[in-house]
Amino acid sequence: MNRLANPELKEPAKQGSAMGSAKSRLTWIWSEYSVIIAFVIIFILAAIVSPRFLDINNQLNILMQVSIIGIVALGMTVVMLSGGIDLSVGSVLALVGVLTVLALNATGSILVGILTALASGVIIGLLNGLLVAKGKIASFIATLGMMAGARSIALYIAEGGSISGEVSGFTAIANTELWVIDVPIIIFILMAVLVYMLMHKTSFGRHVYALGSNEKAALLSAIRVDRVKIAVYSLAGLLVSVAAIIETSRLNSISSSSSGMQYELDAIAAVIIGGTRMTGGRGKVIGTFFGVLILGILNNMMNLMNVSPHLQGFVKGAIIIVAVVFQKRE
Amino acid sequence: MENKVYLEMRNIKKSFNGVKVLKGVSLQVQKGEVHALLGENGAGKSTLMNILGGVHQPDSGSITIEGRDVKMSDPRESKANGVSFIHQELNVVPDLMVYENLFLGTEIKNKFGFLHVEEMCRQTADILGRLGVDIHPKSYVRELDNSYKQFIEIAKSLLHKSELIIMDEPTSSLADHEVERLFTFIRNLKETGVSIIYISHKLKEIEEICDRFTVLRDGELAGAGIVKEFKLDQITKLMVGKAISNERFEHKEIQDTVLLEVNNLSTEGLYKNINFSVKAGEVVGFTGLAGDGRTELFESIFGYRKKYTGQIKVRGQVLKIDHPQKAVKAKIGFVPKNRKENAIIKDLSVIHNMSLSSLSKFNRNGLLDQSLERKRFRYYKDLLNIKVHDPNITIDKLSGGNQQKVMLAKWLEADPDILIFDNPTQGIDVGAKQEIYEQILALAAMGKAIIILSSEAPEILRLCQRIYVMYQGEIVSSFNGNRATEDMIMSYATGAKREDEQIG
Repeated sequence: MNRLANPELKEPAKQGSAMGSAKSRLTWIWSEYSVIIAFVIIFILAAIVSPRFLDINNQLNILMQVSIIGIVALGMTVVMLSGGIDLSVGSVLALVGVLTVLALNATGSILVGILTALASGVIIGLLNGLLVAKGKIASFIATLGMMAGARSIALYIAEGGSISGEVSGFTAIANTELWVIDVPIIIFILMAVLVYMLMHKTSFGRHVYALGSNEKAALLSAIRVDRVKIAVYSLAGLLVSVAAIIETSRLNSISSSSSGMQYELDAIAAVIIGGTRMTGGRGKVIGTFFGVLILGILNNMMNLMNVSPHLQGFVKGAIIIVAVVFQKRE
Repeated sequence: MENKVYLEMRNIKKSFNGVKVLKGVSLQVQKGEVHALLGENGAGKSTLMNILGGVHQPDSGSITIEGRDVKMSDPRESKANGVSFIHQELNVVPDLMVYENLFLGTEIKNKFGFLHVEEMCRQTADILGRLGVDIHPKSYVRELDNSYKQFIEIAKSLLHKSELIIMDEPTSSLADHEVERLFTFIRNLKETGVSIIYISHKLKEIEEICDRFTVLRDGELAGAGIVKEFKLDQITKLMVGKAISNERFEHKEIQDTVLLEVNNLSTEGLYKNINFSVKAGEVVGFTGLAGDGRTELFESIFGYRKKYTGQIKVRGQVLKIDHPQKAVKAKIGFVPKNRKENAIIKDLSVIHNMSLSSLSKFNRNGLLDQSLERKRFRYYKDLLNIKVHDPNITIDKLSGGNQQKVMLAKWLEADPDILIFDNPTQGIDVGAKQEIYEQILALAAMGKAIIILSSEAPEILRLCQRIYVMYQGEIVSSFNGNRATEDMIMSYATGAKREDEQIG
């Protein structure tokens, strides 16, 4: 029976596997690059719907608008890859902004202002990390607490209002162009490249993926899981402080009540659209980059088409859900 | 026993993506028999069972139950035809009570639409009683032994009037006394006329509990017959296509250097007063029943558990190991049991799993040298005969045996002097098992100290020069591997005998 069956079977089996591999290749491309494909489709749609969309100034405008949320979303990606979440980013951005302006006005030095921002961002991130890693508090809860706490302190310091910088030159950070490109765009792209390198080319990145995928196995693989967690939240804090510097510098002021409001939601949305799994272990920095761009184009498109700002949230919400539904189809 | 055919699957063919997985397989199960379905991983057992369970559709072939043609177009239909599938991973909800689990999804309601708790409890007690299991319907499942969880699943299928139960490796997470309990249960079940398809790699179990068997190899029928009329090695031969020895392995000389010495190690409630030492080149085994504390003991030595008293000496030096990384620095490696939960990182690729515990070796100016990683992987792929076409796929796509080989590669790359294996051949087929044993012995021959934890006495007997038996957290006996027998081990492991003073 064997002898009869085998020669006949060989040929169709080969063809079948060739077809199968073509199909599996297609599904692989889809699962790896679905965000980019979605980005291209939305980009083309936007160009068709509104001729002004392709204008170079409009394009740069979009990039400028997404750069702050983009930098925050890069940190959020790392946190979510590790299996956590950071709800505090928006409030921390406001608090860091307030502290930065205070330091700036007190010393008159832009450098001190920037260092204050970076230090306070890292310290708050470190605190988040300690709560999660050493305090063994679920990241959702720990950063929810930080979200409320940081906002409250920002409001208290600024007495509920905005505070403005009194040092000339600070506004140059966000309002200068190199050739035609605004500095915040350059910072965003630079940060994206750095975070990409960190996550995909270093052992730290490998440890974060391992931790997000299977914490116990990561620990049993001799990974310093606690330290990785603390580093992850500290990094997110650092990136928030970079975003805070840009935000503060853009208008030379920061509002303790409205700055950074709901940034955590936009950042999480960008990460999710970018294909990172909520529970960690799977996702890509490039995905987040395009996720941010998709959100930016959608906003821009709706503005160009005069869609009521009150409806824009609805569209954003729908896009997030559609994105996740598509990603489930692997 | 009546010789009535209950189920017949005839000439089943199935391919996935053009790869032929089943090439015309037939299976016949009689009413009230326990039928062993055997074969190595990838032989097509699970595909065949998934076809029976309605998960996959066959490309051709027929299924009849008691002479009627049936078509299992989905799992529900299969259930309606009296077939239930008990998977290796149990589907019980630990935070619900026994009766709630039994009636999950098919709750009985009273005329007001509320849950009819008494009736459900009555039926639960009734079914469990018939099977000779003594658990209260209102106890929480999380508080039960693993074997009872299995009984709950089986009871659930009986509740749905199943006449054919498929059990996939039912003993893989059970200790020996629990296995006994399961077998008694299966015998009772058989008496009531229920047929069972029993999938397992453990041939001793097959001999003990099964009436007839069917062996698959590479998607074809390799043989079938009555268990009593065959010798175990004949059946093994059918499975792997060649004979595999069960002889004890030859050992090289043990060196004089003591690599690991443990003095008076205790952790409240887990283990107490543990003393032993392992020399370079030695293979030492620890065995016992579930709850004997051996896994916890070595998790402490590896730094996964921190709270212990006593002394751990590595190469004569007292070390305080409170994190796995310190253990790795002291050149201790640990291949944990339950691969899926404790060892593999399923979202990382095969290569990245291999290098995970030794990333510092691949560090070049802060960046990982990925071509070196690939090179090292190719080395282990050849050395350990790891079967993978593209090592960039995620590790969960590999078979159990190949996953375990990657775990072995991972620890070889970390290059420890002392290597601890916890249940190293859990859920692995005979061929891969043999390869892993050979590697373990090769490591010992290189002068490494090897510690093997296993609940399977035959495995320990084949591999180890010195055997420690644990019972409820204590070492109750130690044997020279050449003189020990399974009976001796069992009498100490069950607590029937103890000899406190012989330890050393």
